Amino acid sequence: MSTTETRPGTPGPAADAEAGARPAPPPRDFDRPRFLKVFTGVFFLVLFAPIALVVLFSFNSSRSLQNFEGFSLRWYERFFENEALRDSLIASIEIALLTMVVATALGTLLAYGLVRARVRFSGALNVLLLVPLVTPEIVAGVSALLLFTQVGLELSLTTIVLAHITFSISYVTVVVRARLASLNPEVENAAMDLGATRLQTFRLITLPALWPAIVAAGLLVFALSFDDFVMSFFTTGESPQPLPVRIWSAIRFGVTPTINAIGTFMLTVSVITIGLAIALPRLLGRRESGLGVLLGRENA
Amino acid sequence: MSPGWEGRLDRRELLRAAGLALGTGLAGCALGDTTRGSLEDTRKPFKKAVDGDLVYFNWAQYVDPELLAGFEKRYGVKVRESNFDSMPAMLAKLRAGIAYDVIFPSAEFTQRLISGHFLREIDHDKLKGSDTVYAEFAQPWYDEGSKHTIPYTMYATGLGYRADKVSGLTGSWRDLGNADSGSRSFMLDDFQEGIGMANLVNGHDLNTTDEGELDESLDYLVDLKPKLRGITSDTVTSMTSGNAWLQQLWNGDLVNIRNQVDNPEDYKFQKCKEGIPVGNDTFAIPVNANHPGTALLFIEYMIEPENAARNVEWIGYPMPYQGGPTEAFEGLVADDPSINVTAKDLENGHQFRNLRGEGRLAWDRAWTEFKVS
Amino acid sequence: MDEQRFAIGLLLPGALWLLLLFAVPLGILLAISFGYTDDLGTAIYGTRLDNFEQAFDPVFLPVLLRSVGFALATVVLCVLIGYPVAYYIAVFGGRFKNVLIALVVLPFFVNYLVRTYAWIAMLGDEGLVNGVLDRNVQFLNTPWAVIGGLVYGYLAFMILPIYAALDRMDPALREAGKDLYGGPWQTFRYVTWPHTLPGVLAGTVLVFLPAVGDFVAAQLLGGPDEYMVGNLIQQQFFAAENWPFGAALTTVMMAFLLIWMVLYLRAAAREAREAAA
Repeated sequence: MSTTETRPGTPGPAADAEAGARPAPPPRDFDRPRFLKVFTGVFFLVLFAPIALVVLFSFNSSRSLQNFEGFSLRWYERFFENEALRDSLIASIEIALLTMVVATALGTLLAYGLVRARVRFSGALNVLLLVPLVTPEIVAGVSALLLFTQVGLELSLTTIVLAHITFSISYVTVVVRARLASLNPEVENAAMDLGATRLQTFRLITLPALWPAIVAAGLLVFALSFDDFVMSFFTTGESPQPLPVRIWSAIRFGVTPTINAIGTFMLTVSVITIGLAIALPRLLGRRESGLGVLLGRENA
Repeated sequence: MSPGWEGRLDRRELLRAAGLALGTGLAGCALGDTTRGSLEDTRKPFKKAVDGDLVYFNWAQYVDPELLAGFEKRYGVKVRESNFDSMPAMLAKLRAGIAYDVIFPSAEFTQRLISGHFLREIDHDKLKGSDTVYAEFAQPWYDEGSKHTIPYTMYATGLGYRADKVSGLTGSWRDLGNADSGSRSFMLDDFQEGIGMANLVNGHDLNTTDEGELDESLDYLVDLKPKLRGITSDTVTSMTSGNAWLQQLWNGDLVNIRNQVDNPEDYKFQKCKEGIPVGNDTFAIPVNANHPGTALLFIEYMIEPENAARNVEWIGYPMPYQGGPTEAFEGLVADDPSINVTAKDLENGHQFRNLRGEGRLAWDRAWTEFKVS
Repeated sequence: MDEQRFAIGLLLPGALWLLLLFAVPLGILLAISFGYTDDLGTAIYGTRLDNFEQAFDPVFLPVLLRSVGFALATVVLCVLIGYPVAYYIAVFGGRFKNVLIALVVLPFFVNYLVRTYAWIAMLGDEGLVNGVLDRNVQFLNTPWAVIGGLVYGYLAFMILPIYAALDRMDPALREAGKDLYGGPWQTFRYVTWPHTLPGVLAGTVLVFLPAVGDFVAAQLLGGPDEYMVGNLIQQQFFAAENWPFGAALTTVMMAFLLIWMVLYLRAAAREAREAAA
């Protein structure tokens, strides 16, 4: 981490432009940030349009998905009263959290090893890495099921987590590796010259520099796992089934407002979680926002 | 870095060779259990009494949740629900050895499960209300002597259409391509229903495996394809969203559609004159169920007249039991009785049978060719 | 401890996991692709090549080409849409960078199916968009609906890696490029783009590969002609219950994709190294 502290409002020396703790002054060259701004605005509009629909109609007093007829919380009542749905939601969150932690750890280590090691089998390993991304989910699901049954492992939440981690590792590795490629190994070498062991260097220099990629990959993995249907269906025990399995099975009879209510609820939980990640450390007195620390602002 | 192109090819060949070796070593072995238990296992008697929670495996939204809650309350057990979204998927989980207590296979799959010793025998004498089932189901083709199952719902396949938008209907399956539907015709994404429909149109047996007749059906379907807007089994969504005006669907789906639109009277069902597929699914108790007693109690509970009637109204499909359930469904479709499945329909209707071996492969090939054409 | 041993030590857990929990089960499936189905539809191991013969049937070629085409279109659109957004957030986001990037990911926490059905409601013939436009444009059951669905589903996979790469990039480099090349486009072309290429590559891999095998978009948003390889494979495992054939198809598809992907990645990585040097 950088050792220079900056006080808010103080323009730092030009060399500190590396950090970006204060907003970098818009490059004088780009005469059309306006275009980018509008583009991004439209992008968010389109991105959230269906979400807005989902949220809006989850509060619909009638069953309709075309006409909003009034405000009502009945679908949320239905959702919360349904014990099976509640259990499914909790199971999905647990699975996604576990998957996120393990897959991110394994994937990051794998990325580092692949980039820094120079062995004959790294080519094969690179290919092996891509294979899960190419594999259709149904194939991955069926083969995971086969493996578990041949080995005699009883299907349960554990088997789902195992399967999810397996297909998530590749995503993490690909994302982290991209960031690793642009890291300057000189910094690591310098640290080791100063007496740090490889492990210390990895922990104190490399990991923090990789944080944004790791966080990004982690979020991706969480979303993927939380949303997964095919793989989960094949590897789940009898109960509770993860939420997407329920939704997928139910949706063929038509989208019910309860399903929209579930979707909105999932969204709210995510908003709160991410909001906390950003706001909490600030509330606890640190000058930098939590996510900022997470995302590796070097002058935190 | 790793060796170049040749190196990688070597590895790939190695993998192939390994696969071949593995295959040779396992040659002749089946993937997964093909039978579950022995004949005795399926015949082992059990008491109709609560012996634990109910592990329930079914399509989603296929039993009124209030009924499930009612069952929980009456017997003081929990209903642990799992869902599948296709019969083969259900079979895969069953083969993997998961111990469900009550399942709901279709007629063909019931037959397959029975032949693999997957289902327990159920004593109908112990099952109160089992005498109200329609006479046609006393000796079902899929379950000799009705020893292992009792029917759950029945269905018929036909053409659902919007009377206010579609014209030119002649009562035939050909209407799917010929009627004026504003280019909003859909067919089911189901190989049985698709090829079956073509077979009926051409005047052949629903389940024919004759190569010549199948080729005819394939031709019919390929000609039909450009006139279709989509191929989907998501019939409820496509009709309620206004995407589809004319659609091959199951009668229960039409009931659900009518529930969700503002003008249900405009949504009608056409039972086509060349013949209609009818079918049913069943209540069944797997041989490795841990709580068969609770399962039997559940089945009995579900076929009680008031409960069955209530269920019919919730799921929109008829249940073949006299009294309450029959009247309930008649009430649902009073303005368009053709949506119902009557005894006559069961008599005259065609039922899908299990296809085996070459015949099955021929159907799959035909369907695949249709899809990629 | 030297760098080699350290690096190998780090990569072993992940590598072993993939090997045991992925490669082995896939091997089982590969083995079954040489098998056949018996009378009742059960998959039996064997040593036949019929399934591969069938998989190479030219009737499947259009499906494969279409899938690759759709996936390519998806990648291109994702880059065209995702790069500017990532650029805006990384360079101009300032205080709101974190919030903005979180907003990009947020929709992905709403179930994929639920979002897609919301699109169907919006784009339906009697849906919102047609209501607002007061017309009757057919959006759904078209190839563009499928591509749109794919783009919408995979966009975050492109934005996040590009954002991570851009964010890492020293703004001073852009400044220097400005001085050197004079114009914003040249700066972008000779400085920013090569520097963020690894991110774009990562995004490409994460979007292209899964998109080819995707079946949901085509199933829900496409018409009868939008049949993709993912649907074909899905059908073999589910409807047709022909696991050996499904396995063979999958093997062929995966091999085909992997070869091209590896070639492309090597070429692009080489180019990036040369450009950045």
